[in-house]
Amino acid sequence: MSTAPAPSVPVVTMTDVSKRFVIRKEKSLKERIVNLGRSNKHKDDFWALRGVSIDIEAGTTVGLIGANGSGKSTLLKVIGGILQPSTGEVRRRGQLAALLELGAGFHPDLTGRENVFLNGSILGLTQQQIAGFFDSIVDFSEIGEFIDTQVKFYSSGMYVRLAFAIAIHVDPDVLLIDEVLAVGDEPFQKKCLDKIAQFQREGRTIVIVTHDLGTVEKMCDRTVVLSHGTVIFDGDPVEGVAALRANFS
Amino acid sequence: MSIESQARISRIATLPFEKAGAPAGGLISGVAPAVRDIWGHRALLDLLIRRELKARYKDSALGFVWSFIRPLTMLAIYYFAVGQVLGAARSVPQFAIYVFAGLTLWGLYNEIIAGGTTSILANAGLIKKVYVPRELFPLASLGSALFNFVVQFVVLLAAVLVLGQFPLSWDLLYVPAAVVLTVIYGLAFGLFLSAVNVYLRDVQYLVEVALLILFWASPIVYSFGMVVDRATARGQEWIVTLYQLNPMTDIILAFQKGIWRAGSETTTTADGTVIPPQPFPADLDFRLLVLAVVGLALLLVAQRVFARLQGNFAQEI
Repeated sequence: MSTAPAPSVPVVTMTDVSKRFVIRKEKSLKERIVNLGRSNKHKDDFWALRGVSIDIEAGTTVGLIGANGSGKSTLLKVIGGILQPSTGEVRRRGQLAALLELGAGFHPDLTGRENVFLNGSILGLTQQQIAGFFDSIVDFSEIGEFIDTQVKFYSSGMYVRLAFAIAIHVDPDVLLIDEVLAVGDEPFQKKCLDKIAQFQREGRTIVIVTHDLGTVEKMCDRTVVLSHGTVIFDGDPVEGVAALRANFS
Repeated sequence: MSIESQARISRIATLPFEKAGAPAGGLISGVAPAVRDIWGHRALLDLLIRRELKARYKDSALGFVWSFIRPLTMLAIYYFAVGQVLGAARSVPQFAIYVFAGLTLWGLYNEIIAGGTTSILANAGLIKKVYVPRELFPLASLGSALFNFVVQFVVLLAAVLVLGQFPLSWDLLYVPAAVVLTVIYGLAFGLFLSAVNVYLRDVQYLVEVALLILFWASPIVYSFGMVVDRATARGQEWIVTLYQLNPMTDIILAFQKGIWRAGSETTTTADGTVIPPQPFPADLDFRLLVLAVVGLALLLVAQRVFARLQGNFAQEI
């Protein structure tokens, strides 16, 4: 959709990033003591990512696709700094916002208003910025007078709309999105996609994890296809989607 | 490509690269970036503390009053059960002030550690989805504990004033010193235990039991003088040494020396009994200094252990 910038300015560089999960089969103290010394037998290693080295250029929209359990979300969390890679290094620059879950940190007992300030702050906005955006957030969410009601009384739609309204007011250079757009009714989804198109025009870098291959073909400049933690394709979205489909069959 | 987008990209091109996630670093060199990271999120810390305070009594009719009822009930119980029934009040002048002073400071310590230990798990949803310096969660527990402490401390001050016992002397300086030391030790243990608790959930139950034992191993409802008397009577002075290894012993004694004037004076009760001044450790100032140095070292170690363990929080929770 948007054209890639001519001079390549990387915002995220990953060198040989691997992530190992250790699956322990015993948790209790008794089991641990009984199996002391033999504990290696009771551990399973699982490599969620293996030797991933990619650079992401500023102003591009990258779609991460792959089968369930191929490591897409793990990769997104590693970029976001939520998980630390076992080996390798992720370096990045610019302001980053991770929308891995809408309304992360919403407290059910607090009012919508209080949660706007809390969640906005978690996403990296200052209090002054949130105060400035506040009316616009309430407008976008269409919550109206319920903004001073405790969030636990919200319908799930209201909850998500408020959370999304906050999320689109963050001003990141890099935006990580994990399936969160697959919520809400059709008009609302359209609103979300419009907002993302606007973000693209503004030169923001977007990394999106999704199973919606149609969206990837339409929206992204580039696709990274993961399979069992390794990159099996990196390049044009249409070819990437074809590569993933070939991998499925 | 729009001008706005071009401007953003050229701005990014000038920025230096940074490592994603929590700042790494060695034993000493890692502390400054971690502190800077936390300082950068101080507005969020403030909101997290408010969230904890607001959410606590949100739907209860009495609300905030409950934070007075608990300590006052404890005061009443210890005053009657230990003071009057078991007779501890006979050798301790102004027993109510004495007990409440100890309870107030212990409450701070207890809340920092107990709240801190569970703070990481309680915020699992956030930790799995966003990166914020994870130290914020134990620190938020510390903040709400301090707020409750201040409220109780105001009650204590009011009681001291009403009973005409206001301690106008240089000893008053022991009060802030004791509070600072309590915060240092509470935070050191809270940070360490919160990280360990992610990997071994037994810790939170162990902490509850340990705090209960340590409460009775500190001079709160009985006096330090009783410990010294019993130990010397048996010729086993090592018991006092052992007793003072609990950091809260000296810290609480300092707090009491500051706020509880009757302890430093000779008191004559209504029935004519004369109570001599309470024994305080002779080298209290020096001991507090040592405690401060040890406490800061512990805090440093706790932060480093926390920094090491936090890399895997998001997957272990």
